[in-house]
Amino acid sequence: MSDSNPRRDRHLRLNAALDDELDAAHRIDLERELERDPQLRASLRRLSVVREAVRRHGAPEAAPATLRNAVAAIGRPKVNRWRLPLSLAACVAAGIVIGAAAQALLSASRAADPVAAAVVADFARAELSDQPFQVASSDRHTVKPWLVAHAPLGVEVADLADKGYPLAGGRIAVVGATPVPTLVYQRREHWIALTELPLPLGDGALETRQGSLDGFHLVRWADRERAYVAVSDIDADELAAFAAAFRAAAAAGGGEAR
Amino acid sequence: MISDAARRRYQAIVPPHVDDAYALARWLSGDPADAEDIVQDAALRALNALESANVERPRAWFLRIVRNTALTWMAKNRSKSLAFAGDADDLAAIEAVDLADDVSPEAILIAAEDGERVRRALAALPAALREALVLREINGLAYREIAEATETPIGTVMSRLARGRAALAKMLEDKR
Repeated sequence: MSDSNPRRDRHLRLNAALDDELDAAHRIDLERELERDPQLRASLRRLSVVREAVRRHGAPEAAPATLRNAVAAIGRPKVNRWRLPLSLAACVAAGIVIGAAAQALLSASRAADPVAAAVVADFARAELSDQPFQVASSDRHTVKPWLVAHAPLGVEVADLADKGYPLAGGRIAVVGATPVPTLVYQRREHWIALTELPLPLGDGALETRQGSLDGFHLVRWADRERAYVAVSDIDADELAAFAAAFRAAAAAGGGEAR
Repeated sequence: MISDAARRRYQAIVPPHVDDAYALARWLSGDPADAEDIVQDAALRALNALESANVERPRAWFLRIVRNTALTWMAKNRSKSLAFAGDADDLAAIEAVDLADDVSPEAILIAAEDGERVRRALAALPAALREALVLREINGLAYREIAEATETPIGTVMSRLARGRAALAKMLEDKR
């Protein structure tokens, strides 16, 4: 760079002017030079045309959502603690579950039922982890405020300990891009995850429906304000009994609605 | 084990620049799928580096990691004949670039409207020139940020930008 080459140096100054990297003194000098020199003015116009061309046509589309989600997931502690493969973390974040062909679930395929796919993925991930809840407590007065603080839904927490389902804790699952509160109840050595969904995600059907996906059982139902889906690896009848107990407790005000 | 402090720094630094990272990786690798792999790889490297790194200019810092990841990735996955920034072939090609004094602005106006032609020309530039131009025009970095991202002196950055723009003008020129 040290060898003097006036023509090249003039080009560098012209480029620096275009890039707004010249200090005031040099800019004034260059402006005077431009007034005198039509060839220099043409060079500056040429540079501007090139710059505009690159700016307008060179920018690729934004990063794909899968990449965006994967990059965000890399920084999330719970994903790393669970040592999930990156691709799975990305897919879970996108509300998609990878795997073999979908089993029938509530007579719907996996693709047709992203909600079931997301809660099952969440359940499976929690099973793998050494900590299946983000807040661990059997006290609904501890679990409820934590969930309310982390998800934009009114959470109903029923006390079912005397029915054989002690509360173990809570966590936030993600369905699509929506964080949803999930209660974790215990049944012997198994967990039952009960996720509350805003109605646009639940289908709003009031009757209880059973299904299964990837070896996990599901029960779904809704009331006027919310939809619920319970997931567990206990058998289907037991899970249905749990759902009935929860609905009864909630209807009787045994939980704390809102 | 990654500390919470490193994760917080990561969340503040890396996700906001994913579009910039993807754009750079695409222009360095020339392939959308490769660019995704490169950016994910770079993000992991960034998280590990944030355990100890002191970051003053986050975007330039992360784009430097993206660039280095892309160079490593291409050295591993691409044919050896393909020049990338810093290769001897690449540097020789840069020296050969003329300053395009004889190209009139009017002669490149029509081609500059043709997106496909502009992208082809940009892709045909020597990698070190393309990289400087992408960092400047698409990522919007200042000279000293480009210098940091490419680990080159500012004088070299200026020279590469000037030569890159001149080479593009030459390629876009419509001779009558």
